Amino acid sequence: MHEASIANSILEISIGTAIENNSNKITLVSVRIGKMATIDESSLRFAFDAIKENTIAEHAVFEFNRVPLLGVCADCSHEAEYPGYFVACAECGSMSIKMISGDELEIAHIEVE
Amino acid sequence: MEKITINQKILSKNDLNAMHLRNKFATNKTLVINMMSSPGSGKTSFLEKVLLRLKDKYNIAVIEGDLQTENDKQRIEAIGVRAIQIQTGGACHLEASEIDKKCQELGYENLDLLVIENVGNLVCPAEYDLGQDINIVMLSVTEGDDKPLKYPNIFFNSDIFILNKIDLLPYVDFSVEKALANARTIKNSLDIFQISCRNDEGLDNLQAYIETKILAKKRCS
Ligand SMILES: Nc1nc2c(ncn2[C@@H]2O[C@H](COP(=O)(O)OP(=O)(O)OP(=O)(O)O)[C@@H](O)[C@H]2O)c(=O)[nH]1
Ligand SMILES: [Mg+2]
Ligand SMILES: [Zn+2]
Repeated sequence: MHEASIANSILEISIGTAIENNSNKITLVSVRIGKMATIDESSLRFAFDAIKENTIAEHAVFEFNRVPLLGVCADCSHEAEYPGYFVACAECGSMSIKMISGDELEIAHIEVE
Repeated sequence: MEKITINQKILSKNDLNAMHLRNKFATNKTLVINMMSSPGSGKTSFLEKVLLRLKDKYNIAVIEGDLQTENDKQRIEAIGVRAIQIQTGGACHLEASEIDKKCQELGYENLDLLVIENVGNLVCPAEYDLGQDINIVMLSVTEGDDKPLKYPNIFFNSDIFILNKIDLLPYVDFSVEKALANARTIKNSLDIFQISCRNDEGLDNLQAYIETKILAKKRCS
């Protein structure tokens, strides 16, 4: 699994941002992970907690926000939340659903002291 | 306490590297195909067959991603196509920076077609952009017709779905109809090919498709 390399990128970006802002203590790291991103929350937490040791993020709380899968119908513009990729549009039965959200792998913000 | 907004993709480093790669491939008019499947679906077998048919007409190279061994590289070289191996030593996917390094060894110039055989894995490779033009997901009929539903991401991120080993259909409980319907629920616009690397069924179509894409890339600047 690639949670370890994702955690690494999160830590790198967080520390880089903190240093740019003249801070040397990160207290929170907040990420947005789409429902369809192949990321397991507990593996990612575990990986992040393991690598944050002995860095300026070692006391950082890890905030994990799951983003729902939303789609919009290309034919009738109906928007809805979907349990997975993708079933027919509930309004018109079209199979052409475009993703609005649900594949995010993003750092939202950090908090520093 | 101070809150600093970032709103940045976590993989932005790989995405950035992939963007640079894509620019280089565009400059050199190289078509890049990224092949993904679970271990043993027949990626290398397919490349042996189809690249043999293309190699006298086009300048081709293959990057082989595997956890261990150089076996696949040697199989490609045996048909007279240049190949270079990346041994990930455990990593479940390839990253753009590794592709760039290997392309510098190969030489970017004059390549018409670069094929990347990704590490056998239906989960992780889908998240890593390698600067490719086309993502192929391959499934073989011994793996079960529900796989598109179980691994939706890789199907959603692919352009082509190749169903391989159709010569084995008489011996397995695999519904082609169900597999294709499942794939189309995930992504309606998938181009689908059914092939056998054993008896060459369906390879003509796929060869023609790839040639069209090579030529289209040559024309666009
Ligand atoms: N019957 C049959 N066997 C096939 C076909 N294609 C490949 N095979 C066999 O399937 C096995 C695996 O094929 P490979 O080409 O090595 O598969 P791969 O996807 O490259 O495997 P990895 O690189 O290890 O992930 C080999 O024994 C092939 O001979 C096919 O169309 N029909
Ligand atoms: Mg192989
Ligand atoms: Zn609709």
